[in-house]
Amino acid sequence: MTYEDWFREDRLPHIYCVGCGNGTVINCTLSAVDQMGWNKEETVFVSGIGCSSRAPGYIVTDSLHTTHGRAIAFATGIKMANPDLKVIVFTGDGDLAAIGGNHFIHGCRRNIDLTVVCMNNMIYGMTGGQGSPTTPPGALSTTTPYGSREAAFDLCGLAAAAGANYVARYTSYHVTELTRAVRAGLESPGFSFIEALVQCPTNYGRRNKFRQVLDQIEYFKSHALLVQKANRMREEGKKIPDDMIIIGELARRNRPALGVRK
Amino acid sequence: MRLVIDESRCKGCNLCTLVCPYRIFRPGTTANRRGVIVPELDRPERCANCRLQHLYGRRLCGVCQMICPDQAITWEEEGPCEPVKVAIEY
Ligand SMILES: Cc1ncc(C[n+]2csc(CCOP(=O)(O)OP(=O)(O)O)c2C)c(N)n1
Ligand code: SF4
Ligand code: SF4
Ligand code: SF4
Ligand SMILES: [Mg+2]
Repeated sequence: MTYEDWFREDRLPHIYCVGCGNGTVINCTLSAVDQMGWNKEETVFVSGIGCSSRAPGYIVTDSLHTTHGRAIAFATGIKMANPDLKVIVFTGDGDLAAIGGNHFIHGCRRNIDLTVVCMNNMIYGMTGGQGSPTTPPGALSTTTPYGSREAAFDLCGLAAAAGANYVARYTSYHVTELTRAVRAGLESPGFSFIEALVQCPTNYGRRNKFRQVLDQIEYFKSHALLVQKANRMREEGKKIPDDMIIIGELARRNRPALGVRK
Repeated sequence: MRLVIDESRCKGCNLCTLVCPYRIFRPGTTANRRGVIVPELDRPERCANCRLQHLYGRRLCGVCQMICPDQAITWEEEGPCEPVKVAIEY
């Protein structure tokens, strides 16, 4: 099987806008799932509401498209009812960190055996570009027309602090690394959290000086800083600019996990 | 193998033009029937996967396919044909 076999061909092309990064993250996730050699009957995709959360609708396996913010809660139910199922959650920054924030924290605390892939476009894409908990300070959105004055959530820091076993961050430019990270997440028992920064040309890029699709991807490329290098810079007392995106594997440990057959 | 862009899926974002080490994808110039400006392929026979997939028995490189958000890039089997010399610049 190849990753293409996991798509519902009759549902493609999907509804995402031109150049939306969500499609890339679906490719990388399905490629990682395919590498695991899992079959379609034992794999379940779960999501909440948002552009990102439409992903399971394009995949052949059984899936649950749940209410806004509740993907992890539903996924926990599936995993507890049948630990033999492989459960993967697709979610967005709003779905995961705003309305679903508590489910996220408690999923990490329980260390429930799920792999959560968050497509973080730093905006509410589906509803027209309102600011989300990950909208960076200064960024324009329909609810922050003069620039956001709030600090943004560090989703990976949150997951690691709350107890997730595996945490990694990449962007939609880093396709090979992202695929590898999802694979590592699928392999590790317990809560695996992979944050993929994605471009949303329609509702984020357009308002934030990324006029072309390629502009935001070029930004991801030039502003990504590998965590090992960032640590080295800190040790040397160098300052890391605020706009750098720290990428790489950010946590890997072996806390007792829930939902794993003994 | 032959590299092809599925015109019924491509939305013309040009992300593929950014990643290919051989710069096989070039921004297109004319809109197709659906109004999408699909990238043009510059000597696609240079693609690592076209040349070597059968030899290695697995997909090589493939970053264009992974980054394409619209699942539009694939490889087709080719029928028997005359051998041609392919120039690769390193
Ligand atoms: C209970 C509830 N509140 C609000 C909404 C409206 N709503 C739909 S999608 C969305 C935001 C989605 O943002 P995100 O999770 O970042 O997904 P994106 O579209 O950016 O991928 C909101 C607020 C809803 N559908 N249900
Ligand atoms: S609004 Fe943004 S996130 Fe939603 S499909 Fe369009 S580009 Fe993608
Ligand atoms: S597989 Fe690699 S070499 Fe071949 S067209 Fe795609 S990016 Fe270029
Ligand atoms: S990345 Fe895919 S959708 Fe975008 S221009 Fe290339 S072939 Fe078309
Ligand atoms: Mg979002």
